[in-house]
Amino acid sequence: MSLAGKKAIRYILALFLIASLNFAIPRLLPGDPLTNLLGEDVILTEGSAQELRLKMGLDQPWSYQYLEYWRSLMRLDLGYSFHLHRPVSGLISDRMKWTLLLAVPPLITGSILGTILGALAGWRRSCRSQKVQTALFLAIYCTPPYLLSLIVLYLFAFQLGLFPMKGFYSTGSIQDIVHHLFLPALMMTLFTLSRNYMIMRGSVLQEKSSLYAAFARAKGLYDKEILFRHVFRNALLPIITLLALDFGFILSGALFIEIVFSMNGMGSLIYDALLSRDYPVLQGSFLIITIMVVSANLLADLLYSRLDPRVRWQ
Amino acid sequence: MPDRKADSAASGAVAIKGKKECFGCCSRKAPRERPWGGLEAGKAGSIGLSLFLAFLLMAAFSPLLAPFDPWLRFEPYLEPSWNHLLGTNDMGHDILSELIYGSRVSLSVGFGAALMATIIGTAVGLFSGYFKGTLDEILMGATDIFLMIPQIPLIIVLAAYLRPSFWLVAILMGALWWTSTARVVRSKALQIREMGYVRAKRSLGFSHLNIILSDILPNISHVLMPKFMLSIASAMIAEASISFLGLGDATMKSWGMMINFAFSRGGFINGYWWWYLFPGLFITLFVLSVVLIGFVLEENDEANLRLE
Amino acid sequence: MILHPFSHDRYTLLKVDGLSVSFETAMGMVQAAQDICFQLQEGETLALVGETGCGKSVVASAIMQLLPGNASVKGRALFRGKDLLQLSERDMARIRGREIAMVFQNPSLALNPIIPIADQIAEPLQIHEGIPSDRSVRIAGDMLRRLGLGARGMGRMYPFQLSGGMNQRVMIATAIMLSPKIIIADEPSKGLDASLAREVMKELARVRDEMGAALILITHDLMLAKDISDRMAVMYCGQIVEMGSCGEIFKESLHPYTGALLNCLPEKGFVPIPGSSPSMIDPPRGCRFHPRCPICEKRCRGCPDMIRLNEREDGSAREVRCWRYSKL
Repeated sequence: MSLAGKKAIRYILALFLIASLNFAIPRLLPGDPLTNLLGEDVILTEGSAQELRLKMGLDQPWSYQYLEYWRSLMRLDLGYSFHLHRPVSGLISDRMKWTLLLAVPPLITGSILGTILGALAGWRRSCRSQKVQTALFLAIYCTPPYLLSLIVLYLFAFQLGLFPMKGFYSTGSIQDIVHHLFLPALMMTLFTLSRNYMIMRGSVLQEKSSLYAAFARAKGLYDKEILFRHVFRNALLPIITLLALDFGFILSGALFIEIVFSMNGMGSLIYDALLSRDYPVLQGSFLIITIMVVSANLLADLLYSRLDPRVRWQ
Repeated sequence: MPDRKADSAASGAVAIKGKKECFGCCSRKAPRERPWGGLEAGKAGSIGLSLFLAFLLMAAFSPLLAPFDPWLRFEPYLEPSWNHLLGTNDMGHDILSELIYGSRVSLSVGFGAALMATIIGTAVGLFSGYFKGTLDEILMGATDIFLMIPQIPLIIVLAAYLRPSFWLVAILMGALWWTSTARVVRSKALQIREMGYVRAKRSLGFSHLNIILSDILPNISHVLMPKFMLSIASAMIAEASISFLGLGDATMKSWGMMINFAFSRGGFINGYWWWYLFPGLFITLFVLSVVLIGFVLEENDEANLRLE
Repeated sequence: MILHPFSHDRYTLLKVDGLSVSFETAMGMVQAAQDICFQLQEGETLALVGETGCGKSVVASAIMQLLPGNASVKGRALFRGKDLLQLSERDMARIRGREIAMVFQNPSLALNPIIPIADQIAEPLQIHEGIPSDRSVRIAGDMLRRLGLGARGMGRMYPFQLSGGMNQRVMIATAIMLSPKIIIADEPSKGLDASLAREVMKELARVRDEMGAALILITHDLMLAKDISDRMAVMYCGQIVEMGSCGEIFKESLHPYTGALLNCLPEKGFVPIPGSSPSMIDPPRGCRFHPRCPICEKRCRGCPDMIRLNEREDGSAREVRCWRYSKL
């Protein structure tokens, strides 16, 4: 079977597994499956509880439930949040756009900046400014993202009053939105930047002592010409997959940053659902997030096979 | 062992370093120096190591170092003062003592998760790389799948259902982090398996177990160590994140839980920065120390491989 | 294979004077090359021969300032009135690939695996002459044809799709793009089987003749060296022990090591040299060959200088580093 075929199977399997996990968890874990499915915050009389059990098919054999589960997934029905009185899919689609607005532009900027700065850092001999830069990004890399956000929020919003403390209203003006988004987007960018920086720096450090880099130098290329004409591409390739795998971590980081800055995106949704043990929301969110991460990985994989001629011509 | 010849000395590191004008700054490099984080490996490594040991000592000797029992109640909402160097929280617990004792919890979770991840990862990598074939395919497929699952969200979901406890968090993390170790161990195992002396042993009929234990395992230790270190770092950050969300063990005051208390009990809104700054600082410092050690080990490993 | 006899009107292109290279390593100071002196005339081919590890590649890298950071270099390498060893990196970069070009060993690793070969060959044109990429790639295509790699679509191929011999030719093409005055070929036939090695050498010689370039050939293969070189310098343990024209050396070698080396050839019976190669960190005192020399004398415990014999009118001479030829 071709390599592409094998990979496709893996992705499909991954999605399948996760969806099944989603099905299995509330039913397998300790506690009443009904509560597990509805959430802890819901108060029911015994009569309506029974009614619901029947309606949700909890008395049916698992095979039936499993099929029903898939059927509803195909209908994009992720369940109903009794806590918030809305279907989960509606909630998620509302919130997701804010999360994407917060996460995607900084992700792109941070990745590009981080890769270039990291490449330069890996390339140059350590000057004073380089040492400081690397130490700074290293420190950011080691700090949990929400912590840095807390401190920054405290300093700039609380103490200095430069930025608003709480999240924004979705009907605000563009200026208003930007004002609210600035700090979290900055945090997000720094976070992505530092991770890309460290990874790219390591890759360039490794590649720069390769023979083709020496030959490029022997051809008369000078300094950064060698870096950007040769080493950069070779260093970037092996880490594309690494960066793609990192996407999951970065997305999680985005959620935490949202929580700290009280943005109304997926992060706050999940946080509130956690506090009230609103399981349907938790499950739906998990599913959606995982699908996004898996898709990102798939994209990266495809990108990699296009970029690396050795893979293309297998 | 042949002495170092001219060619190997030169070709061992055909790096881009001119004699006079080094790219960037001019600095005569000593042979031992491997710039890392702008510091020589020696310096970076020793900073990491000393920080690491400092934390270990803190965890081991908490009763001796902490001024008070962290569960003792004093006057709450105290600012840092001479009596209570880091103040007290809303329950009147001395924060410095909490911080010191918290090292025990955080470090245990970190180590426990990393240990578990490393053991599972090594086992999977060994079997996969050594036996190859269908087993390899299946295990690697599983690894790929596990790698793709976003770990923190999964832990959040699971922890939401189960009552959060100290061990649960460690086990969950360990069960998810083995993947990168598995990959690395597998590639090393594949490499060693094809070496002359191992092939000889195989053809002579030595049992698989014997070969794995006596030949492959010792040779992967230098690859495992950096991975182990970095797993600790990931586990610490994850634990801090989980606890921040309130999913940690409330009875054990890890650093992450301290930050959670700060956030959820109004410490943040009211500007009691001493509630969360220090635990956060400690988390960062500990992760930093572990990352430094891990990176330095990795780099030395690279260098060794190159000079061979 | 045209051998250029020495003539008065050719001038000295490269004069290496007292070149010494040492490396600081974890195991001590490696004295890779000591007191290397030679001259290269325009259009001449000089072969640096010796066993693996004798320091010949180091000499070439030193001239091009391509040594790693832990190397310390002494001496001079005069090229067109400038001392190459004192040039800044930027000035050196202008000379590399344009006036002095180098062909590495191990062609498959020396080429960038993810860039098509035509682009890599075209690079010196883009860097030194500022020729835009489409034109330079076309010129590179012509060059590929000159070297026998003119098949359709060859230019877009990647190094991993080509054989070692083809990659070697790609490297040669890259080196000669700007018609350099000096080509340094570092073990161009390493890793290639005998017939392929001969092919590559033939190619090299043809290219050299077409361009009238001087060639420094570094190799451990004496027969290959003899085939296309005018003069030969035999190196042992970082020093040049004998230098002269190929014909002279093969007819009558002066230094005991050269003689022993020639005896190793299959034609002479594969006679090995007793003893083992010396350490470069702690080389033998005095004459470096004396522990293994069959005609070692007492005075060999002192360092012999390079002795010039048979001075000819054009300034060339036989040179040998051995006490036996000392006039003392």
